[in-house]
Amino acid sequence: MAKKTEIAPPETWVDRYGDYLYGFAMSRLRNPDAAHDCVQDTFLAAIKALDRFDGSRDIKFWLRGIMRNKIVDQIRRSIKENKVDIQAEDEALIESFWFKYSGIATTNPDPWQFNPRKHYDNSEFWVIFDRCIQQVKEPARQAFILRVLEDLSTEEVCKVMNISSNYLWVLLHRARSQLKTLIEANWTGSDAK
Amino acid sequence: MPNNPFMLTCKQVSEALAHKNYSELPRLKRWALLLHVKLCPICGKFNQQIMRSQEMFSRYKEQESSGLHSEHNLERASKEQLKKQLQQAMEAQSKQQAPER
Repeated sequence: MAKKTEIAPPETWVDRYGDYLYGFAMSRLRNPDAAHDCVQDTFLAAIKALDRFDGSRDIKFWLRGIMRNKIVDQIRRSIKENKVDIQAEDEALIESFWFKYSGIATTNPDPWQFNPRKHYDNSEFWVIFDRCIQQVKEPARQAFILRVLEDLSTEEVCKVMNISSNYLWVLLHRARSQLKTLIEANWTGSDAK
Repeated sequence: MPNNPFMLTCKQVSEALAHKNYSELPRLKRWALLLHVKLCPICGKFNQQIMRSQEMFSRYKEQESSGLHSEHNLERASKEQLKKQLQQAMEAQSKQQAPER
């Protein structure tokens, strides 16, 4: 019984966790309607599964875990509709000497134009970062969300996206490069270029 | 020397970073990896940038998990709609469970 009292009652979930979950969904789905539906599906699935929640952690993290499955499902559906085809330049990268020899894309990447580490405690930096994630091009963005933000293993992401692990590596490389360029272009802090 | 944990090849470093974040690797492997990227003229700069990116992404996820940075909020009407749906789902759930009691 004591366990039950620790769980926020479902009628308070929207006020307590609605915006929290909506923020996650917007970062990943970009579309307000899709994000709203994702929050809704998460709450409805949670109501059905509530008797399986053991109260061992904050319920918002449990709700977040349910939302993770919803987001992965949504990305899986969108990939089924628009199959991920390997681009010629990506194929060339996988076939390149440096990738085959040492698993890298280039020996000499452009350095950052400012030091992002200095801004990790600045919430404005993360707002910019969040906006930049949404501008990364598909399918690199989808790969980034699944592998980095949702923490799926390499094997799981390859299965969801129906791609090879080499191509996943290339897509994550693209996502990192685009994010770097976007952050450099959008950051307006005192040390911006 | 593939069996020597201190002598990693560039490919081993790249593959390790593809499967795990640097901070999640065992201490010995982290040390060997750091030594490699600091000294390697081939993969050093590239893999150091990957390590920095991983650190940045981890920090973003911490921020995100704390719910501090988001500029997205549900509109009032959306919240009301969600509350109604939640209420209906709870009622349906308790009706379903009632005959079992």
